[in-house]
Amino acid sequence: MQSKTAPSQPAGNSGAAPTELRLEGVSKSYGGVRALQEINTTFRSGLTGIIGDNGAGKSTMMKILSGVTRPDTGTITLGEKALHLTSPVDARLSGIESLYQDLALADTLDITSNIFLGREMTRSFAGLRVLQDRAMAKAARETLSQVNIRIPDVAVPVRALSGGQRQAVALARAVRFNAPVVLLDEPTAALGPRETAAVNDIIGRLVDSGRMVIIVTHDIPAIVGMADHLIVMRAGRIVREVDPRQTNQEELLAYMVGSRT
Amino acid sequence: MQQANMLQRLFGAGGGPLERTPNKAVLFGLRFTNLAVLLILLVFFALSAPGFLSLVSFSNILDSTSVFLLLALGETFVIFAGGIDLSVGSMLSLGGVASASYMSERFAAGDDGVLTTVVGILIACAVGLLGGVLNGVVIAYMKLDPLIVTLGTLGIFLGIADLISNGLPVGDLPPAAFTLGNGQFLHVPYVAIIALGFAAVLSFVARKTRFGRYCYAIGASQESVRRAGVNLNRHTIMLYGISGALAGLAGMLNAAHFSSASSSAGANALLVAIAAVVIGGTPISGGEGKIWGTVIGALIYTLLDNGFVLMGIASFWQLVVVGALIILAVYLDEYQRRLRLTVGISRDTEGVAPALAADGAAGQDSTGAKASA
Repeated sequence: MQSKTAPSQPAGNSGAAPTELRLEGVSKSYGGVRALQEINTTFRSGLTGIIGDNGAGKSTMMKILSGVTRPDTGTITLGEKALHLTSPVDARLSGIESLYQDLALADTLDITSNIFLGREMTRSFAGLRVLQDRAMAKAARETLSQVNIRIPDVAVPVRALSGGQRQAVALARAVRFNAPVVLLDEPTAALGPRETAAVNDIIGRLVDSGRMVIIVTHDIPAIVGMADHLIVMRAGRIVREVDPRQTNQEELLAYMVGSRT
Repeated sequence: MQQANMLQRLFGAGGGPLERTPNKAVLFGLRFTNLAVLLILLVFFALSAPGFLSLVSFSNILDSTSVFLLLALGETFVIFAGGIDLSVGSMLSLGGVASASYMSERFAAGDDGVLTTVVGILIACAVGLLGGVLNGVVIAYMKLDPLIVTLGTLGIFLGIADLISNGLPVGDLPPAAFTLGNGQFLHVPYVAIIALGFAAVLSFVARKTRFGRYCYAIGASQESVRRAGVNLNRHTIMLYGISGALAGLAGMLNAAHFSSASSSAGANALLVAIAAVVIGGTPISGGEGKIWGTVIGALIYTLLDNGFVLMGIASFWQLVVVGALIILAVYLDEYQRRLRLTVGISRDTEGVAPALAADGAAGQDSTGAKASA
């Protein structure tokens, strides 16, 4: 019996924060609709919030960075490395972990299976990839403990968890696989105040550990209080990049709706 | 009142059962509903059907179960992944006819060796695999509903079976095929050994391998699996390929058992296969289920079949009872799932929610200091 443990972390990804993630001339159209137009920006370590009204291009930018959608034009560079993101796997292997608004969890699977989905620890046996369930459960418990989430049983199916707990499981993936860049799409949109605070705390831990965290959100008061850097988008363009300490909600809203340019 | 008291004992005081933590013993019991039904049927027929408690009878039950169990095993994997394969019955016919045509021709030419039967098995599996892969490719790449695709191929495979056999039964199979279809080892039919062997292997694959995990995950959320970087198309093709290959093999074994193959051999097989899966506790919505549940489901079906015959009850009643059993099985399965969910939330809330709440409170603290978990 050949025994081999699959790597549980992306190759070449130590989790060390890259210096920057740069977008140059990135555009994307859907038919006649120009979802993104000539985006030029640089994300750095810390928390960057992307805000904008519906249709501003936030989600398209997230999809491009997470490898779900390919840009029509432009380049993406992480540190010194040019990225060609043609799938979510490409993004993940490049060290970009994405958490979607709908979480993308498999409800009937347990917490461990969800954390390791697509990156299971396995060994080879008779041509089959046999799961190393115990090792994965142990690693899942350690990861949850790292973000200070106490879950008594990682064998609980995800559908039995509340929204905040599910979000914690999704965030645990990024922690487990040491992703240096974490993209979050409306991470607290469906949560109550207590769970929102808990999830924001986990996000704070990710930032404190030196990761580059990018959040797309509608929750302007919250992101102004959390972010190190804010990007305001409107009609597929970046209309303002600002330090949240040097602005206020009224000004941001004005940029979002176009009453200031 | 008495009923209310009983419910209180089972589920705790007051209100409906789903509003509170149910008794874990009840939950544990509900997980084995299908096994309990199997045992009850065994006892019932042992007491009321003359001749039921005999080696011959049990051997017959295993014999009758094995062919459609193979169909049901492939179908179970497809249903785990949230799909459906309606073409397994006609693939059984096609696999049987294709294999029997070759074996019959060789036998007529004077070749009655074991090799002819082995090649017959390979032909049946290859034809099934090809048909299954066709299903998978169309479903994966044309993004069509598996219900419609396999409904279409149900007709296609049946038509091809008729074309090969000219609509007539194909007989005169070599003795080795007859031995395979009717031989026994310690009163256990060879076909049962084959079917149970496949059940054991596939149970391992479902529970312990990455392929099995992805089947469940796809059934739960195709999008989560796609975003996790799994090649969904390849997985879909493999799933339907396995289902087709098992159906083809079932067709060959069916032909070997009856020393004859025909396009009508799989007429009832689809209903029986899906009944075995559903009675075995696999939800038609996918994402959950067990291979051994399907084995129990298949045995329940055959027990009813044999028991009714032994009791002299008209076979029409069997269809009525099986139909009712499918509905009951789906209801019980849904019921226990909701109970499990309640227990999951209850158990989880004891630990996780306070932990999250505590984290949240701490998160609002500017110091960020945390109590260790």
